[in-house]
Amino acid sequence: MNRSLQIRAGVTILALLLSVWGLLPTIKALSVPHAEREAAKTDPAVASRIADIDAKAIRRGLDLKGGMYLVLEVDQTGMNASEAQDALQRVKEILTNRIDRFGVSEPEITTFGASRIVVKLPGLQDPERAKKLIGTTAQLEFRMVRPTEELAAALETMDGIFLAESQAEAAVKKAETPAAAPAGTPAETAAAAPDSANPFAELDNMLGEDSDADAQRQAFLVDHPFSGMLVMQNNLSASTPLFVAEDDVDALQARLDDPRVKLKLRDAEFQIGIEPIRLTDGTALRALYLVDRTPSLTGSDLQDANPATDPDRPGGWQVSFTMTNRGARVFAKLTGENIGRFLAISLDGRVKSAPVIQSRIPSGQGVITGSFDNAEASDLALLLRAGALPTNITIAEERTVGPSLGADSIRMGVNAALYGSLLVIVFILLYYRLSGLVSVLALVSNIVILMAVLAQFDLVLTLPGIAGIILTVGMAVDANVLINERIREELRKDKTIRAAVQAGYSNATRTIVDANVTTLIAGGILLWFGTGPIKGFAVTLCIGILTSMFTALVMTRVLMELMTRNQGKQKLSI
Amino acid sequence: MEFFKDPKINFVGAMKPAFTISATLVLIALVSLVIHGGPHLSIDFTGGSVLQVRIDPRPTVAEIRSGLENENYRGVQVTSFGAENEFLITFPNVGMDADGGRTMDATQLMLNDLRKALGGNAQIELRREESVGPKIGGELRTAAMNSIIGALALIVLYITVRFVFRYGIAAILALVHDVTLTLGVFSLLNFEVSLQIIAAFLTIIGYSLNDTIVVFDRIRENMKLRRKESYRDVINRSINECLSRTILTSLTTFFVAAMLYVVGGPVIHDFAFALSFGVVVGTYSSIFIASPILVWWYERRIADKKRMAVDM
Repeated sequence: MNRSLQIRAGVTILALLLSVWGLLPTIKALSVPHAEREAAKTDPAVASRIADIDAKAIRRGLDLKGGMYLVLEVDQTGMNASEAQDALQRVKEILTNRIDRFGVSEPEITTFGASRIVVKLPGLQDPERAKKLIGTTAQLEFRMVRPTEELAAALETMDGIFLAESQAEAAVKKAETPAAAPAGTPAETAAAAPDSANPFAELDNMLGEDSDADAQRQAFLVDHPFSGMLVMQNNLSASTPLFVAEDDVDALQARLDDPRVKLKLRDAEFQIGIEPIRLTDGTALRALYLVDRTPSLTGSDLQDANPATDPDRPGGWQVSFTMTNRGARVFAKLTGENIGRFLAISLDGRVKSAPVIQSRIPSGQGVITGSFDNAEASDLALLLRAGALPTNITIAEERTVGPSLGADSIRMGVNAALYGSLLVIVFILLYYRLSGLVSVLALVSNIVILMAVLAQFDLVLTLPGIAGIILTVGMAVDANVLINERIREELRKDKTIRAAVQAGYSNATRTIVDANVTTLIAGGILLWFGTGPIKGFAVTLCIGILTSMFTALVMTRVLMELMTRNQGKQKLSI
Repeated sequence: MEFFKDPKINFVGAMKPAFTISATLVLIALVSLVIHGGPHLSIDFTGGSVLQVRIDPRPTVAEIRSGLENENYRGVQVTSFGAENEFLITFPNVGMDADGGRTMDATQLMLNDLRKALGGNAQIELRREESVGPKIGGELRTAAMNSIIGALALIVLYITVRFVFRYGIAAILALVHDVTLTLGVFSLLNFEVSLQIIAAFLTIIGYSLNDTIVVFDRIRENMKLRRKESYRDVINRSINECLSRTILTSLTTFFVAAMLYVVGGPVIHDFAFALSFGVVVGTYSSIFIASPILVWWYERRIADKKRMAVDM
């Protein structure tokens, strides 16, 4: 065996070994039994283990996995170039932040051009919810928190609104289940005289904090359909004593959204906190604030906000902000009149933070301090900036594929690949016999290497991508056909087998390169202009052309030369 | 096994009927395109929405259409798609603002109206949705045009560098022939031209060219080897020498494209159809169009004695 042949044989074997190794994670992912995947739907531990395995396999595109592809247009009317750029970046940040909370694995959010953002959410189950989340323009508002003295009256009003129907419901229930505990009025609800030393005393009584007997609590709830849902905690937050258990947030919000609330509460409203507070015993509560109905300031009054280190607290962070001229004027008056009171900062009707006003802020430049760490301060600053951006986002392009369709597409694509390849293999074997076997080996290796390249370079496999692979199978044969036809021709000229193989390869090489370069040009153009699935097709097509050139020109040549090394060999099966 | 043992078919001699047939077919394609007001572009290029829905119990296409018309939708297309109770519903622009952006609840709007149109108790599963705003649609149209023209230009350039300019023009004429015929078939069958189909066109271009170049390469080689033969004979000989390979490769590629058409699923149906058709047309054109154009050009324009200087 000569040196060049040794090297080429070595390269071929190495390429194949590397490819198989690169495909191992994908094979592992494919061999996860169906039962286990079913189990993953209910068992989070199994789900996370499978997710780990899948993460290392070839990435499937949105059309195979199911998911959503969105191109969003950011409205930049009336902005100059740098404002527009900033707006785009901020919207991207906001979306990243929101989608993060939505809990999609591997979301991709990128800016595209001057005014667009591309969002890819693979494996998404509920596209409408995601769009709702993405689409809401952040409404940032500043509202004064009402003094705690007003809470009792407000709660009573709220209870009053729902009292009639809650009692009617209870009556119906009682009639249905006479054995149920009678809906009596617990002693706690008897109005106690307001205790001036403890402004919460009356509330303490109203809320009946320690009534753990379930029946009693149910009964209490009948007569206190609103306040009965709440939890009282005097020492959890300075700005409000009212909390609601995380599980009750949706029910409470439903009550708050009742149209009668607006009429009865008039100049105030209740708002729930954005984030739950986790207590040491594992329960999660959210604060409930009573705030002005009319916001004192809105996001458009805010110019900028940034996280900064807190000079008074080593390692601590705060948020510094700047108001617009109009905002600064209002803010100066507001802070001057309300020192010691709390100002709720809310986004889309939920309170993010309610800092205390410590002094009058005349310049419109202030800081929000608290026990923030870096991340929390950045988060709050981002939220403030987001609200300072009154811009609209619309969908310019949307492609959503349900997970069931994705699974169908994979099945059909794989079937087409399988049957197509089989047909080609049988045909080539019939036509070229032993040399055909070499071609078939090359064909199979080609698919293996192509898939390994996809896996290793983290490229995405789409349905058109599968089509590209299938097409590559058809076209990869071409190189082998060219070579084999050449060898046959040379054999007809009565050359020795060895000489014919050598001449066949060297003559065919030029043709193969010329023919493939032109296809590569078409593929390259597709790669450049294509979006989403089209790109997937172009990627596999281009890689397929390159790998098929390798398998045809290097790999089969090694095999053919090895087969014909014996000078005395009389006949080549071709 | 061998299809052709040293074939000597007079392909170049069939130049006249081949050109006539091709010209007729291209004419039919063009007439169909003109009558239909250009290719039937999908929402990828015009803007709009396509919903692929599974509806249980299965309504008829007419029920869906008239139901949606009652909900004040105009220009809705409904087609049965793939499985029994699946439909593809194409909406013109729904929920668009003045700039052509869609509001976030546009899909929900369409689905709700569909539910209303079907009378409330139908189970509707959204399998796939594609929506494109008119602005992006326009951009995609430009991009698709540019990519096809760009691909053709680059290819002429490459062939000019590797061969001569004349070969480039002959190859491009064959490609334009292929793409026009495929477009024509899509127009006649009233199939939509989508982004996927543009990808198919570019693949057809690449594939058909592959075929043509193999023959050109052989012509170039034979020009040097057989100086005594006439131009016409050299070209005919070259086509014949490549015939086995051309047919073989076309067959294998057609096998896989057809397989994709048969079992690849409805989403990729039109794409696979375009590919299968393109392979057939591309094979035909590289045998009967591309190389004979060289002969035709040569015999009309270039004197025999200059042959060597021109083609080597």
